[in-house]
Amino acid sequence: MNKIALIIITLGLVFVLGFIFFGGSNTTSVQNVEIKDGVQYVSIDAKGGYFPRVSKAKAGVPTKLIMKTTGTFDCSAALVIQSLNYQKILPQDGETEIDIGIKKIGENLQGLCSMGMYNFVIEFL
Amino acid sequence: MNKYIFHVSGTHCASCKILIEDVLMDSTSSPQDEQSFIKNVRVDLKKETVQIETDSDQSIEELATVLTNKIKGNGYTLSVVRQDLTTGGEDIIWQALPIGLVFLVLFFILQKSGILNLGIGGQTTPAISFIIGLIASVSSCLAIVGGLVLSLSAKISQDNVSDTKTFILFHFGRLFSFALLGGVLGLVGNAIGINFTFTAILGILASIVMLFLGLNLVGVFTKNKITLHSGIFQKVSSVFRKIEHKTLTPLVIGFATFFLPCGFTQSMQVAALSSGSFVSGLSIMLAFALGTLPMLALLSFGSASFAHGRHAPLFFKSAGVVVLGLGLFAFLAGLAGLGIINPLFSI
Repeated sequence: MNKIALIIITLGLVFVLGFIFFGGSNTTSVQNVEIKDGVQYVSIDAKGGYFPRVSKAKAGVPTKLIMKTTGTFDCSAALVIQSLNYQKILPQDGETEIDIGIKKIGENLQGLCSMGMYNFVIEFL
Repeated sequence: MNKYIFHVSGTHCASCKILIEDVLMDSTSSPQDEQSFIKNVRVDLKKETVQIETDSDQSIEELATVLTNKIKGNGYTLSVVRQDLTTGGEDIIWQALPIGLVFLVLFFILQKSGILNLGIGGQTTPAISFIIGLIASVSSCLAIVGGLVLSLSAKISQDNVSDTKTFILFHFGRLFSFALLGGVLGLVGNAIGINFTFTAILGILASIVMLFLGLNLVGVFTKNKITLHSGIFQKVSSVFRKIEHKTLTPLVIGFATFFLPCGFTQSMQVAALSSGSFVSGLSIMLAFALGTLPMLALLSFGSASFAHGRHAPLFFKSAGVVVLGLGLFAFLAGLAGLGIINPLFSI
C-alpha cells in the first residue's frame, strides 16, 4: 500500500485524537454558585464527568461543595480531592455536601475521579 | 562440506540459542538418525539466523523443512527467506499505526459522546449490575482492564503458549474473585476500605505493563534483542516469561482485576457493601463481572484467532499501537489521580 498515504492518514488521526483530548472543552458558564445565609454553595453535577468543568467562586467566604449524582456509576462517582485529602464514592443518586472552608484569592480547588480522567476546578476570585 | 544460513523465527530469549543448537546437534550424536549429517550449528540471535555445516546433497529448501520439523515443537521455524514478521516490519508498522489509531479515536469519541451515561437508577439488582457491567466493558474502564487483557492476550498468543487455557483461567479467576470478594463485602457490611491510593498505584502498574507489552508488540525491542536481554530488561522480560507459563498466574491476574481502578467496579463494590448479605453481595458482583465478560472474552479470544491467522504480524503491531495509546492514557490519568501531575486532559 502507498506508504505516504498511510502516513498522512496517521497524522490526521493523531490530530483528531489531539482535538478530542485538548480541544473543544465546553466552558459554558452555568450559574452554579450561590450564597445563602453567609455560606457559599458550589454545585457540580457528577455523571460521565463533572459539569461545569470550571467554576468561579468568591474567596473569603465559607464554602461548601455539593456534588449531585443521578444514576452515576462511572468513574465520576469515585471522587478524589487531593487538597482536602478527600476520597469518597458518591451515592448513585443524591447530593453530597463537602466542606471546603474559606479559601484565599487565587486559590484553586481541584477534584478528580479516582482514575484521573475526569476533573473539575473551582477558582476562587 | 556445504554451509547454509537459514532465518529463524521464534527466538525471543537468550536460551533459545542454546536450545536450538542442542536440538539440532543432538541429532548428530545418534548415527542412525537422518540428520546425522549436520556437523556444526551456530545460532545468531541478533541477525535471527542459524548457520549449519553439512555434507548432505539436499537442497536448502528441503533442509529447512527437515530441520524445522526438529525444532517446531519448541516454537521455532527455519526458513530460506525471512518471514513477514521481520521483513515486513518497516512497512507493516505504517499500516498498523492508522489501524490502531482508528480504534483509539473511536474509543475516545464513544467516551466523549455521553452515550454511555445511561440513566440507571433505583436499587442495584443483579440484573442492573449485569447491564452496568456491559456498559463498563466499553467505558473508560476498558482503557485499563481491556488494555491489560488485550496486551497480555496478544503477547501470550505471540509466544505460542497454550493460549486458550490461559484465557479461560484468567476469565475464571476474574469471575470467581468478583463473586467471592463481592460476597465478602456484603458480609462485612462496612468499609474494609478499598483504598483509592492503592487502586491508583495498581492502575499505574497495570499501565506500565501495558506500555512495556505495547512496545514489545509493536516491535521496538526486536531490533536490538541483545541489548534488551542484558540489563534490566532481561529481568523484566524473564519475569513476564515466567508469569505467562504458570497456571496460577492468569488466575491471580484475573483476581487482581477486582482492585484495578474503574469507577464502575468501585460503585458496584459500594453497592455490594450496602447490600447486607453474603449472597446479595456475591450476586451483584458476579452479575457485574458477567456483564463485562463478553467484551473481555472477545478481546482475548479474538486476539488468539488473529494471532494464528495470516495477518498475525499486522494484528500484533496494531494491537500494540492500541495498547500503547490506552497505556499512556491510563498512566497519565493515574498520575493525575494520585496528584503527582496536573490533569492534562479531561475527556
